[in-house]
Amino acid sequence: MEAVPLDKLRAIVGPAHVLSGVDLSPYVVDGRTPETAVFPGSLDEVRAVVELAAGAAIPIVTWGGGTAASVGTPIAPDRPGMVLGLGRMNRLVEHEPGDLTATAEAGMAVAAFQTALRARGQWLSLDPPDPERATLGGVMAANAAGPRRHLYGGARDLVIGMTVIAADGSVVRAGGKVVKNVAGYDLPKLFVGSYGTLAVIVDVTVKLRPLPEEERLVSLRFERLKDAATATRALMASDLIPNALELLDPDAARVLDPSLPAHAMLVVGFDGLTEQVQWQCDELASLVGPLGGAGLKLLPPETWDRLGSVVAAALGGMPAAVMRLSVMPAQAGEVMEQAALAARARGLLTACAAHAGLGVVRTALFSPREGGEIAPVAAALADWRAIARGAGGHAVLEWAPLAVKSQVPVWDDAGAAGRIMQRIKAQLDPQNLLNPGRFVAGI
Amino acid sequence: MSTVTAAHKHVLRQELEAIVGRGGVLSDPDELLVYESDGLTMFRALADFVVFPTSVEHVSAIVKLANRESMPFVARGAGTGLSGGCLPSEGGIVISLMRMNRVLEVDYDNQIAVVEPGLVNLHLSWAVEPRGYYYAPDPSSQQACTIGGNIANNSGGPHTLKYGVTTNHVLGLEVVMPDGEIVWLGGRTRDAQGYDLAGVFVGSEGTFGIATKVVVRILKKPQAVKTVLAVFDAVPKASAAVSAIIARGLVPAAVEMIDQLTIQAVEDAFGCGYPRDAAAALLVELDGLRVGMEIQAERIVQACRDAGAREVRTARDEAERALLWKGRKSAFGAYGRISPAYMVMDGVIPRTKLPYVLERVNEIVAAHGLRVGNVFHAGDGNLHPNILYDPRKPGEEARVVEAGAEIMKLCAEVGGSISGEHGIGLEKADFMPLIFSAADLALMQRLKNAFNPTGLCNPGKVFPTKKSCVEVGPVAYRPHPIEEKGLAQRF
Repeated sequence: MEAVPLDKLRAIVGPAHVLSGVDLSPYVVDGRTPETAVFPGSLDEVRAVVELAAGAAIPIVTWGGGTAASVGTPIAPDRPGMVLGLGRMNRLVEHEPGDLTATAEAGMAVAAFQTALRARGQWLSLDPPDPERATLGGVMAANAAGPRRHLYGGARDLVIGMTVIAADGSVVRAGGKVVKNVAGYDLPKLFVGSYGTLAVIVDVTVKLRPLPEEERLVSLRFERLKDAATATRALMASDLIPNALELLDPDAARVLDPSLPAHAMLVVGFDGLTEQVQWQCDELASLVGPLGGAGLKLLPPETWDRLGSVVAAALGGMPAAVMRLSVMPAQAGEVMEQAALAARARGLLTACAAHAGLGVVRTALFSPREGGEIAPVAAALADWRAIARGAGGHAVLEWAPLAVKSQVPVWDDAGAAGRIMQRIKAQLDPQNLLNPGRFVAGI
Repeated sequence: MSTVTAAHKHVLRQELEAIVGRGGVLSDPDELLVYESDGLTMFRALADFVVFPTSVEHVSAIVKLANRESMPFVARGAGTGLSGGCLPSEGGIVISLMRMNRVLEVDYDNQIAVVEPGLVNLHLSWAVEPRGYYYAPDPSSQQACTIGGNIANNSGGPHTLKYGVTTNHVLGLEVVMPDGEIVWLGGRTRDAQGYDLAGVFVGSEGTFGIATKVVVRILKKPQAVKTVLAVFDAVPKASAAVSAIIARGLVPAAVEMIDQLTIQAVEDAFGCGYPRDAAAALLVELDGLRVGMEIQAERIVQACRDAGAREVRTARDEAERALLWKGRKSAFGAYGRISPAYMVMDGVIPRTKLPYVLERVNEIVAAHGLRVGNVFHAGDGNLHPNILYDPRKPGEEARVVEAGAEIMKLCAEVGGSISGEHGIGLEKADFMPLIFSAADLALMQRLKNAFNPTGLCNPGKVFPTKKSCVEVGPVAYRPHPIEEKGLAQRF
């Protein structure tokens, strides 16, 4: 095993942009410290770093804002490799409002990108958690999204092109700059959600939308979660066109409204012309009223960004684990109830919330006492995984301490599709250097 | 030309019949002729067999047999493709999915449908229409083309401006891999785990395997629809109106442009109410909530007027709306009245380049002594220049091919793409280097190797041959049999 050639890296990116020793502490993941962290400032520098790593067989962990760095199977202790940070590559490359497209470097923070677009009346209809830190490239790699995915789709639906550095250091242009394009294979889809295991994303081109005239987020409370879940289905079958549809159990709901009694909450977003938003809010109230929904309330705009963290912030905010269950949308409410029951049977507490229209349920597990045991946590997570499978889906352990991760697989069984994924990985990264061992099917 | 001996062919026919049953295998050259081309009739190739499976097990067994024999194979739907994508190699097996055409399940609570690949696109919308739903991707051939073919080409349509193309509506697929293994890529939930295999499969032009079941999203039909016709006395004004609509923050469901030559052809043929003396017309459709529809329509009207439209009107009722759309969707059929043949192009450009590119397209075609009709998806910059010609006139076809190549180069130069929805297939394979580098293509090849390492599954498509762009051009259009019968339109 070769040592990381720090001198060569310094020659590529400049001495100030190669970290070692205690400076590496922000990049420690699951207790493992990288061998170095390198911050290139241009595409050429990224390419040179990847080429160097390929030649010396050094693993690369690509790093944007670090918001999803802890997702994944723990890094192998024998060879943690180098962090390749893209924070210096944070420029808006191009925004042509007339084309409704924009290109930015991968290290640009989502919030900064949105600010630049908003100044010209447009936005990227993707709202990942922690947008001040999350970078455009990181959001693509982690397939991060927020409540507005309900109407506008996820990263895969909005990206039209990328420049990536392949594992051998070659520069590859995936997709293009036009909104409709079927020339060649749809490579951007391959890199979205690949967690840095197939290539290093250096810039991203996306489709944009005009800013809506008005946007509102409202909440309704329900005495029973079951009724709130029924309301989400009624809403889906109605003529309304919400841009977000969130279902919160009482403990998650109290993060948004501490004064709330033990009630479930339905959070619904609308955008469009003012009269459209108003009409939909009125319709919403009359639609869900008979189902037990009451107390229609306008939520402050900052609530949008808080929705992604309500489960982890519940019950004092020290979860023992956070899991993401992807199930059939109509079963989201039922899955939340089952998950809570299963955890309670193990003597644990929970908070659950769902992008109800998408069937994406996030559940956080809490020990009633500080320093709780690992065994019941691991058992409850296994229960949750079984519940997700029972509802036609799968579950990913989004966050847990190393002790839990060593007992519960982060990813669900990928079956036969997992073997195809392994073949893709072997083709694109034959040396297995890009974020090795952290993804689905051992990739 | 088949490489199989007559005796061996007889044995293979029996084996294939053992899989799919008698009546499920064609091997007589006369019968095979029907399958020698797709909607792009210039390319022709004769298979050894056309086989009609009715189950995933049939497809898997056929593919395994093909592997054993090292025979190339290709899946085929309705054959409406426009790039030669489903053509057999010389010899080999065409696997027709036309007998796998059922809607297997509709789950309205979860807004998905599970269908077989041979289902006709429009038939899916018909199946869910009674409950107020529809399937959004609407290629103009939707009366004939199949969902499986749409998957292969990642098909679009006029309304994909707002709703996205096929890939945005597919959640999962049951696939027979090129080695015969049956695998699910993606599934029924909105999120799949790991790499987006369904996402890369869609648009892979039949080179990654054969889809045998497809899970698609179905959408609620909008409360209201409004269609606006704007008439211009100059093409640049119509282009400016497209920009003005976007600049005002409006998101129509569709923005289609039709030029004078096309309008006159359509009016001669069908009389749909387009003014014959107009230089260009825009067909703009809004859909969504009833509330606010009038206001948005008014803004569209105003944007068109400000851009210099000489006349703007909204369709008064469903009948008038249907007539306007008929004019748009029948345009290709109408060309048949004014020209013996035409070739349809499929380039995409950034919307802001529309005025420049349209002018250049007209110049290029004129410089080759030809005429062009434009009818296309202006809202997303997907051009369809249709170069009219007479194949009986010596040298004319060659000039069409040259003009087509120049148009593709033009699209590439302004930062666009050589195909927006018809696919690369055989036709455009040698033009891939216009927009992709050797490294880009090498990575695509590695992805293909992961799915299709032997290359037996639909060989010869998508990737350029060794020949350069200059040597090989696109080929010219001849009407497809089903088009001549008026069963389908291209767009």
